[in-house]
Parts: sequence; C-alpha cells; structure tokens
Amino acid sequence: MDEKKHLGQKELNERVKHARLCTGCGACVNLCPYQRAYEDKVLAIFPCDLDVGRCYAFCPRTPVDLEALRGLLFDPQDLTPEVGAVKGFYVTRSRNTKERSRAQHGGTVTALMSLALKEGIIDTAVMADRGGTFLPEAVTENDSRKVAMHGKSSFVVSPNVAEFNRLAKGSSEKIGAVATPCQALAYAKMRMKPIPERDNNIDKLKLVVGLFCGWALSWERLMDLLAAKTELAAITGLDIPPSRYQAMHIYTTNGTIEVPIDEVNRCIRGACHYCFDMTAEFSDISVGSARLSEGWEEARGWNQVIVRTDLGLELVELARKKRRLEFREVPEGNLQRLKAASLNKKGMALKNLKLRTHSQDDLIYLNKEDPAFKNLIKGG
Amino acid sequence: MSNLLDTNEGAHYLYMGNDAIVRGALEGGVSVAAGYPGTPSSEIIEQLARISDRRSLYVEWATNEKIATEIAAAASFAGLRSICTMKQNGVHVASDFLLHLTGTGVRGGMVVVVCEDPGALSSQNEADARYFAKMLEVPLLEPGDFQEAKDMMKWALELSEELKTFVIFRSVTRMSHASGNVVIGELPENEPRAYFQYKGPLLDFLTGPMVTGPGVVAYARTVQQGRLKRAVSLFEQSRFNIYAGPERPELLIITSSACYLYSKEAIHTLNLGDRVGLLKLGTTWPLPEGLVRKHLAAAQKVLVVEEPQDFMEENIKILAADAAGEVGVKTFYGKKSGHVPTSGELNPDIIMNTLKGILGIQYEPVPQEYATKAFQSMFKSPGRELTFCPGCPHRASFLSLHNALALDNRDGFVCGDVGCYGIGVLPAGFSTVKTNFSMGSGLGLATGFGKLTKFGMNQPVVAVCGDSTFFHAVMPALVDAVHHQSDVTLVVLDNSGTAMTGFQPHPGLAVDAMGETAPSIDIEAVCRAIGADVASSDPFDVERTEKTLLGMLKKKGAKVVILRQICALSPEKRGKKKYQMSVREDVCIGENCGCNRMCTRILRCPGIYWDTARKVSRIDEVICAGCGVCASVCPSGAIQKAEVA
Repeated sequence: MDEKKHLGQKELNERVKHARLCTGCGACVNLCPYQRAYEDKVLAIFPCDLDVGRCYAFCPRTPVDLEALRGLLFDPQDLTPEVGAVKGFYVTRSRNTKERSRAQHGGTVTALMSLALKEGIIDTAVMADRGGTFLPEAVTENDSRKVAMHGKSSFVVSPNVAEFNRLAKGSSEKIGAVATPCQALAYAKMRMKPIPERDNNIDKLKLVVGLFCGWALSWERLMDLLAAKTELAAITGLDIPPSRYQAMHIYTTNGTIEVPIDEVNRCIRGACHYCFDMTAEFSDISVGSARLSEGWEEARGWNQVIVRTDLGLELVELARKKRRLEFREVPEGNLQRLKAASLNKKGMALKNLKLRTHSQDDLIYLNKEDPAFKNLIKGG
Repeated sequence: MSNLLDTNEGAHYLYMGNDAIVRGALEGGVSVAAGYPGTPSSEIIEQLARISDRRSLYVEWATNEKIATEIAAAASFAGLRSICTMKQNGVHVASDFLLHLTGTGVRGGMVVVVCEDPGALSSQNEADARYFAKMLEVPLLEPGDFQEAKDMMKWALELSEELKTFVIFRSVTRMSHASGNVVIGELPENEPRAYFQYKGPLLDFLTGPMVTGPGVVAYARTVQQGRLKRAVSLFEQSRFNIYAGPERPELLIITSSACYLYSKEAIHTLNLGDRVGLLKLGTTWPLPEGLVRKHLAAAQKVLVVEEPQDFMEENIKILAADAAGEVGVKTFYGKKSGHVPTSGELNPDIIMNTLKGILGIQYEPVPQEYATKAFQSMFKSPGRELTFCPGCPHRASFLSLHNALALDNRDGFVCGDVGCYGIGVLPAGFSTVKTNFSMGSGLGLATGFGKLTKFGMNQPVVAVCGDSTFFHAVMPALVDAVHHQSDVTLVVLDNSGTAMTGFQPHPGLAVDAMGETAPSIDIEAVCRAIGADVASSDPFDVERTEKTLLGMLKKKGAKVVILRQICALSPEKRGKKKYQMSVREDVCIGENCGCNRMCTRILRCPGIYWDTARKVSRIDEVICAGCGVCASVCPSGAIQKAEVA
C-alpha cells in the first residue's frame, strides 16, 4: 500500500479502472468534469493532475479501514463477522399488491423508500430504473407514490452514487439512496469525510437501503446473452432464484426461459469477483430475496431484511405500524444460511485477491487484519 | 480596389501581386474567371468578383478546382478569354481535366493561374505545380516582379490564344501577397460575344467538336507538341527573360519568380555585380534553349535558384548535357549539390549564404553576438500553440466529439480534413483528429476504415469536414459510404462560409461570388437524399451535441451529424457578443478537486485566463466572443453568462 493515504485520478485509473476492479458504482462521477459514467462503465474522459482527489478517496475499491467505517456507523454490539451489523432480521413484503407486481421480489425496498419520502425522513430518493434496454439508469424520485415505478432489477449496475453526487450539489436536503454493496461502501467512505474541506455535502445523505448482491453482469454481455435467447421486447423480467436450480429465469410474454448458470457466469462483471460484501453491510437496512419452505414460487414474493442501524429499525417499525409492510415468521436457519452464503462470498473474494497479488498479505483494497477476514485467511 | 479599373494609362500604383494579376487579366481582355479559394490565390477571384458588374465579367467561386477549370475552358471554347485560379494542390484536383484539355487545345485565351505556397505557410503541402507544365506539355510562365505579374498575365492570355493551348501562370506567396510598383496599361473596351462552334469536322478544334478519343490521341499529341515548339521560338525573344551582369561571369545564377528578387538582393548586398551574372527566366517551360545555351557558354559555374523543387535545375542540366559539345562541361550548384535547401521557402539570406559558400567570401548579415542573442530570446517568449479563435464553434464541436468518443470507449478516432478544423489534431481540438490529408479525404479514409469490421476492427470512425469542403469533394465519398454500408459518422462542421480563406461563398449559401442571390444547396437534404441517417445540432449546446454524437456512434451504416454555428470571425458575427461572460470569484473552485481548472487547462479558450495571483479564472473581455460554451462546461457554475441585449 502507498505511503500516502489518499491519491488522485491517475492512481484511481491505474489501480482500479485499468486493474479491472471498477464496479461502476459512480462514486467518482459528478464530482468533477473528468470522470463520467456511460452505460454501465465509468470512464476518465480527461486527465486530472491533482495529487489528491475525492475520486480516489471515495472509491469502494481503494484501500479502506473497514473497522473505522463500522465504528462510525454501527453499534459494536450488533456486529457479526459474516454479514456486518444485525439489529433485526425479518421476512417482509409490501402490503400493496400493485407495488409487489412491479418489484423484483416482495416490494420491501419500494415500500420503505416510499414511506421514508412520505414521512419526510427523506425528501429525495436515488434509485435505479431498469431502463428500456436492461441498462439501468440512476433516477431521482421525490414522489412517494411513484417509487414503485423503479422496482425491477436487470442485474446490471447503475451509477447511482453519481446521481447522489449531482443531487447533493442542489437543493435536496435529505437524500435517501438505494445502494448495491459497493455503492453502500462508497457512501460510508464519503461519510468519513476523507478530504474534510471538500466533503461533497455527504451530510445530506440520511438513509441507505442496501440490496443483497452476488455480482452484477456486464451490460454488453448480458445483452448478447438475452438477444441470443429471445426477442428483447418480449422480456418482462429477469431473476435468479436462490436455490439449487442454478439458472437465470427470463420471464417473457410467452413464458419463462431458463438459462444455465454457467452461461450467466460468463457475463459477470470481472470486478465482482473481488467483492467481499453480499449483503450491503454498510447500509441502514439491507434487503434481498427470501428463502421459504414453500419453494421459490412463494419465496419470490417476499424479501429477507437485515436491519443494521437505529434509523433502519425506526423505519421498519414505522412500516409495520403504518401497515406498509407485511411480516411473516423467519424460517428457522435462514440467517445462518445467509451468513454461510455471505462467508462464502468473502472467502472467494479473498482467494481471488490473493491470486491477483500472488501474496498472502496483499489484499489490494482490504486489510487482512480486519476481523471479518482474519479467520477466513487463517482458514486458508 | 477602384484603381484596378483606372483607365489612366501610365499611372503608377502600389499593387499587391494578386492585384497586378487581376489588372493584367483585365488588360488582357478576360471575360470569365473561376476559382476555388486557397491561400495565396484567393484575392484574384475576390477582386474580379467585386468589379464584375463594371467590366461585364462572369466570375464564380466554383465547387472545386476541376470545375473552375471546366468553367474557364467552356468560355474559351465559346471564344472568350478566361482564367481559373487555385493554389498548388488545386492543380492536382484539376489535372484530370487539364490532361484531356491538351488533347483539344483551346480557342479563346485560357490561363490556369496557380499560386503556390513554398514553405507551406498556409498549406499542408509544398507541391511544385511546375512539373504539370512539363507533364502535360503546356507553356509555363513565372513573373519575376509585380510589374511582370501584370504584364505577363496579359501576355499569357494572348499567348494562349495564339498557340491554342492553355498556359500555366505560376505565382508564389511572396509574389501574390507582397506589393510593388506597377505602371498600368490600357484597358480594352471590348464586348465579346460567346458562341460555341461545333459544326466543323472532327479534329478541327477551331470549328468542330471538342473531343478526343482512341485513335486520335497520337495526332492530338503531335498537334500539342507543335504548339510547344512554337512556344520555344517565341520564348527565345521574350522580354520576360532577362540577363544582368558581366559578359563572362565567374558564376551564372539562373532563377525565376520570387527567387529572382532574392538573388538580386543577395548580389547587391554582397556587392557581386561584377562577378556574378543573373539570368532571370519568365518562360520556364519549355525553356528558351538558345538563350540558355548562350549564357551557359559564357560561365563555368552555374547556380540554379528556385523553390520548392529542382524543376529548372534538372531541365537546364539536360539542356547542358545535350549542348556539352557547344558550351563545355559546367559545374552546377543548386539543390542537388546541397548549396540550396531542397525544401521550404528561400530568402535573400539563404542565397547570400549559398554565394558565400560557392565564392568563398566573408560576410555576416548580422553580428554574431546579435544573432546568438536573437536565437536565445526565442526561448524566452511565451509558448503559444496553434488554437481555435475565442468563440470558434469548432472548439465546442471537438469537445463533444472527444467526449462522445471517450465515453463510447472503443478507441474511436476522427479523420480530419482541410480547414481550420485540422487543428483538431492538437490539444485545442482535444487531440481527436488522427488523420488529415487532402480535401474530402477525411470521409474517404473513414469510409475505408468503416469497412474493416470484417477484419475485426471495432473502432468507431468519424470524419469531419467543413461546409465548403462538403461540396468540394466529400459528396462522392458519402455516396460511397452509403452505397457500401460503411460504418462511419460524418460530422459536417457547418460554419456558413469558406472560413479559413476569408468567407468566400460556396454552394450552401444563398449568394454567389458576385454578390448575386443564388439558390443554396441544403447539406442536410443532400445527405438524406444520398441515403444517410442525418441529425443536426448546435455545437454550442454541448450536452445535446454529445448525446447526438453518442447515439450516432452506436448505429450501423453511414450517418451524418451537421453541427451548425456561424464562424466567430464571420462578418455577420464579428464584434457582436451573444453573451456577456463573467466569473464569480467566490464560486470558482479553480485548482481544487472538483474542477482543477477545466476552463483554462482543458477547454483552453483564449478568451479565459488563469489569474495566478488570485487563483481564479477570468474572462478576457477584449477577445471573448461571448459564445457561452465555457459556462456550460464549468462544473461549479462560476462562469456566468448574461444575454447581451
């Protein structure tokens, strides 16, 4: 690791972009005229010769002291090495059937963002919209009734943090963001105010709702895959059931097409293989798909929710009180299964990082002494 | 301008070389003139166009040099005297027609005026068009001063009509753009009638059809070579071939054109008038063989001074070899011997150095100490690179092009073309231009690149051209691109005029060279008719332009994006600001993270400068053209624009 803690665009390009570690989160975009997002890529369109830049400091793939971030955001008692802070674990869905039908799964994120807007916890929501060609766009929503318009996933990253950066310069005062794990990490790094005099108005960020994420797909490769399977216009949704089916489901107007997971794996964004975080550990609330004993057809209508902060708990309880979310009993062993899956991702990330550096000690952006990784490394 | 029509015969005027050529053409009874703009030739057509109504002339800015030559030839076929004008590379465009024109010859006097640019001061090349005279077997005339420019032009028209072949009249920058004393002659009062006779027999080029073809080429060439032989005998007596110096000079200089003036000055400055003889030739092809032989016989050492290539040197050596028995063996100095530079423009200092070397004389044009100091001070002056003017639409266009290609992220590039936008190769154009050749070659090359997908090439290809260039030579390339489904994007940088050469009108405008209203050709409609996918944008709308370009880069096939915004220097716009620009010092974040001087480090418009003391950007009120582009790229909103009422 470099002597100097923070570096600039040159190093960001060398060590993240050209090293193919860029997740496309958008944290370096809209801070200056030089870093831009296009499709699912982030590009440096002009060189910047500053030694120290926020682009490098905010990037979720530059070296980071995760313990310091956890100290800033969470109650130490809630911390687990597998999935980060856990204040509560639930299985929920939106009580609004329309909202659910427009959502990827149970509509929990939609319900929570909509409620946060309605209750004035936030005045603006930053979320991803699937867009017309499966290329998600970062969108801003101020109307709680319209949040449901942006509920579907296409498994491609959208540079949502870039949209936050743009928004934070404007008149919004209380911003809530839906975030992938890498985006949640970027927000957490911003909250540390690594360059105090240029803090990016991060105090306007009031709420982060994280999304579980195994990986994201490269848009170009996904488009090639989908185009080979069906008419793009016929596709109504995509999903990967968390089961042993091991397939991507393409929902079309003519029924469901199953794509073997091996074909999907070839579309994974390279950078995702180095990600340690499956459950968006640096969020207030994290939401993902559920597993239920009734099987996938039932489970896909629900979400699993990790509440991590006081604010997160407050919002989830408000959603219960206001009858925005429906709760059901968490099946026995679900949190353990989630922890195991999360640990598995951490283990893979560490293994891949070590393969990259040919070293047991150099984890590029991670610290091998971090409590979340210590045991994994010892374990080989 | 008015003195070009002065009828006061014998009056003296200070004429620029191109004005002298105009006056000579008028005295020679020219009726039709056509040209394509190109430095240093452009003023000839401009001046003739201005006085066209008072002399009953037809003058046009043709779509390209070949057409200009055809316009002039048609007038000649109908019995009128005509000229066509172009710069050196224009002859290459016109040469196909000229080659065929030697097959028939001409009727009315017709002169091809070529103004060359040795040293490429305003060119991308340093072509020597004199070789065309030898290649095409036509006479070549080169004036040696301003009076000759006038007199020789008149004679060229007469000579052409007498020999029935077109004549090449060659000038250079220091002849066309310098000024000198000219005594004017008589302006003829003629009202020629145009009529094309074609009822005579085939191969009678005075009354029959003007055609050549298989079977008659040998005959036609014999006729043309006969004309050239007549030219030699006329040239032996020409008053434009002059000698000054001793009867048996130690060194004979043979020269022509502006080099005559340089040589004369060098001989004078070095006080070599009694040692060096100076033979100035005005008729440089075919050579006046007898005259040259006579002077060769009188000197042992011969120096040929010319630019840019060794056209005369070679021809004189051939002549000397043929006449060796008569004139003896000579020692030649020139480009071949290394005594005269083989590229670039010459000047009196260079010739003085050449003479010093050959004659072994001591002379320092300036004291050594001064020369050293002058050389050192070159490095102390602030570096200024070639850039676009403040408010130039090309800066904005190239910014959007750069950004679109960068975001597209497939190593796309721009094929440049001939115009100010060639600067796109430099940081002023964000270094987007990667090829730049002749007029229209941008799209031709891009069309070729666009067909290489078959071989795995996935780089998006963009060609840029100006509005005048579009008509000149881009249209055929667009037809090729559309017909062959090349994956290419043509960006027409339409700034409403032939800006680089001084706003000459072109077919896209509603006015012709003579100021008459003319139907304008709609570039967009032409592109659509050819079958291209067409979009247009105002380049000053940076966001929209970038989006339009990005969309086009994604599409297959031949696309055209027209970026329309009038040149900042155009007569309509000049001095008028759309916006009053200002910088809010309290908002400018300058060198900090978040900007790092976007406006002065990347955009680099000369209208903005970096105040090193206060660490903020500032508008240079004097040169800012008020286009507002800097305000749209400023990331912090510090640059503000206020509409000027």
